[in-house]
Amino acid sequence: MTAAADVPVRHLPPRARRAAPLSAARLLRLELRRNAVPWILLLVAALFWFDSYRPSATTPPIWVLRTFWNMGQGHTIIDFGPFVAGVAAWMGSRDGRRGTADLVTATARPRYSAQLATWAATAVWAVGAYLAFVCVLFGVYAREGVQGSPPWWWVAVGAAAVTAFSAAGFTIGALYPSRFAAPLAAFGGFLVMTMSSQTGFSHTSGWALILPTNSNGNYQPVSGIFYPYLPDLPIARVMFLTGIAVVALGLLGLPAGAGGPLLRRGAGAITLAGVTMAGTAVGLAASARLEPHGMSIPALHDAANDRPIAYTPVCGRTAGVPVCLNPAYRSIMADVAAALRPVLGQVAGLPGAPGRVIQVGGNYSSTEGEAGQAMTISGDPLVLRMPLDAGDLPGAFGGTTTQFTDQLRLLFVHAFAGVGNGAGTPAQQAVQAALLQGAGMPFAAQPKALSGYGLPSWALTTDLPGSADGPGPATGPVYAAARRLAALSPAARHAWLASHLAALRAGRLTLAQLP
Amino acid sequence: MTAAGVRTPPPEAAAASPAGQSAIAALRLTSLYLESRRIPAALGLLAGPVVLLWASLYWHWSIAGGAAARDLVPLVAETGAAAIIAVTTHGPFGDPERATGRWLPYLRPAAALLLTTAAFGALAAGSLGGRLPGGSMTLLRNLAGMTGTGLLVAAVLSGAFAWIGPMAYMLVTEGALAGGWTTPWVWPARPPHDVGGALCAYGVFAAGLVAITLLGARAASRPALLE
Repeated sequence: MTAAADVPVRHLPPRARRAAPLSAARLLRLELRRNAVPWILLLVAALFWFDSYRPSATTPPIWVLRTFWNMGQGHTIIDFGPFVAGVAAWMGSRDGRRGTADLVTATARPRYSAQLATWAATAVWAVGAYLAFVCVLFGVYAREGVQGSPPWWWVAVGAAAVTAFSAAGFTIGALYPSRFAAPLAAFGGFLVMTMSSQTGFSHTSGWALILPTNSNGNYQPVSGIFYPYLPDLPIARVMFLTGIAVVALGLLGLPAGAGGPLLRRGAGAITLAGVTMAGTAVGLAASARLEPHGMSIPALHDAANDRPIAYTPVCGRTAGVPVCLNPAYRSIMADVAAALRPVLGQVAGLPGAPGRVIQVGGNYSSTEGEAGQAMTISGDPLVLRMPLDAGDLPGAFGGTTTQFTDQLRLLFVHAFAGVGNGAGTPAQQAVQAALLQGAGMPFAAQPKALSGYGLPSWALTTDLPGSADGPGPATGPVYAAARRLAALSPAARHAWLASHLAALRAGRLTLAQLP
Repeated sequence: MTAAGVRTPPPEAAAASPAGQSAIAALRLTSLYLESRRIPAALGLLAGPVVLLWASLYWHWSIAGGAAARDLVPLVAETGAAAIIAVTTHGPFGDPERATGRWLPYLRPAAALLLTTAAFGALAAGSLGGRLPGGSMTLLRNLAGMTGTGLLVAAVLSGAFAWIGPMAYMLVTEGALAGGWTTPWVWPARPPHDVGGALCAYGVFAAGLVAITLLGARAASRPALLE
């Protein structure tokens, strides 16, 4: 119960106004000392380790992979936010639970400003702890030699989310001063994050991109290595979450006991400003479109972020051909060399065989999503451009070294047969299959390799048996022709390819014309 | 206002026999205890998890993914109910009540058992909205185990913060389900009639009841923060 509505508005004398900032600082210091957030930090630290760090520890040492789970999919927020909301609700319900609302209302400061000081202390503890935990997390990654650059904008989103949780929880506690306010806020927050994750998984565009757990299209495998992380969507998310925090804090000042009419009108204006901010952010997210290197919001986009990150490649050699990779991928040079050696060896000396292999960043589109990209052979001298990104690496998303090897060989022979971004003619598919067989991938294993995750869409639309609906038997006219070609001696096959390669690439060769 | 002049019991109490007086006193003590622990409010709030469970089953809220995703909404409902039960252990009177309340060791577990039974009944009714993964036995096991974690946290940290027990356990469970763990300590990951999972869940519930009976919810060392 409160008598605040009857309390006249007090105006501070000039000297008191000068002293106000100092008093506010003292109040904040008092609230910082008497805050409950530190009580849960040990538990949150343990959960942070268990849920945010532990699952990432086995991924390849690339920033965008290591942080995909905890930053891209927002698990640091899931681990932190609901607990912060619960404790903030406890702090917000303090006056109501203790029955001191009238006492606080009768002090020199409006109740609203005292509540804001309590919330500010809660937010300082929560955001400070979040940033400290993330710093430790990133420090551990840096010590492990993780390559690329950290996703700093996602850290800002996390800090904004924790702030929003603290504000929302605090307001719930202030408006419903009960022992049940804390669990209500915490479980409500968890449910919201759960639904956000679920919605995020299924929405690759539109308003749902505003959800901080949605990683679709805005956490690209090239980010932080070939191109900067695009900050467009994180900026919109920070706006959205800040808007939610502002709305929650504005609502805190609306009840009669919060202060005088002027202050309450100000709180109303703050609430409206928060709604506007959050609504604008949702509108901005809805206007996002998938660009080659991530989600771009036209109103927020800075063209400077489209510039590639300069680097000096590291080079090795396989089958006599130089192979150059981004230094972030130095650790997989041996895997790449081993994967390409048998296919490069088969085509060495043929017209169209690359004299050099270089790694390039993937060029992502809304149709291909984050699937692997086709290789190309072009230039003079001929260069094989190999879009090898973090998502393709062994160990990423459950991928194995065998899958990685198969994928590189498949993409290489596809490029060598001159097929481009399609399934190719039956003759091209047969040559592709024969070259893969020669590289150590048996015919029987090829349908499975073609239906594997991470390949461009053409791999699944090919005419090869069973590949569209999953692995099937390696039978049919394409494989029959491929078996005939593969049965030739390496020298005979090499000679046949040398004489028919131009016609094959032009798509003029039929299956019957294969040896 | 003073009660110095009141030296005689109320007329209705004086008219009752000693056995009747004792019964009235017991009833009054029980009702005061239940009121001080906000049990009526807790019973009302249990409607929240029940409605959530019913709605998720009735409208087939499908969450894509494996066991972690499939069991998520029922787990959230069970955890929410467990958190509400655990928070009722918070006592507003602290040491004075401990020093004078000789019936507290009976009232505490009785209230927890009453609420757990009520929560199970309500959630079981909510599960009639559709097919609950694992059925009622799983529901009872999970609810009891999670309530146990809340009661243990109440005894160790504070009744007011007891909700963090079920909450933290749920997060660990989600991680464990996603990782394919099969330890019985993560009982929601075990089959409905698994003995190991049941032993762990009911063991934790029993430990929580014992802790809350013998120790009560901990009065924090810094009551200004946690009271």
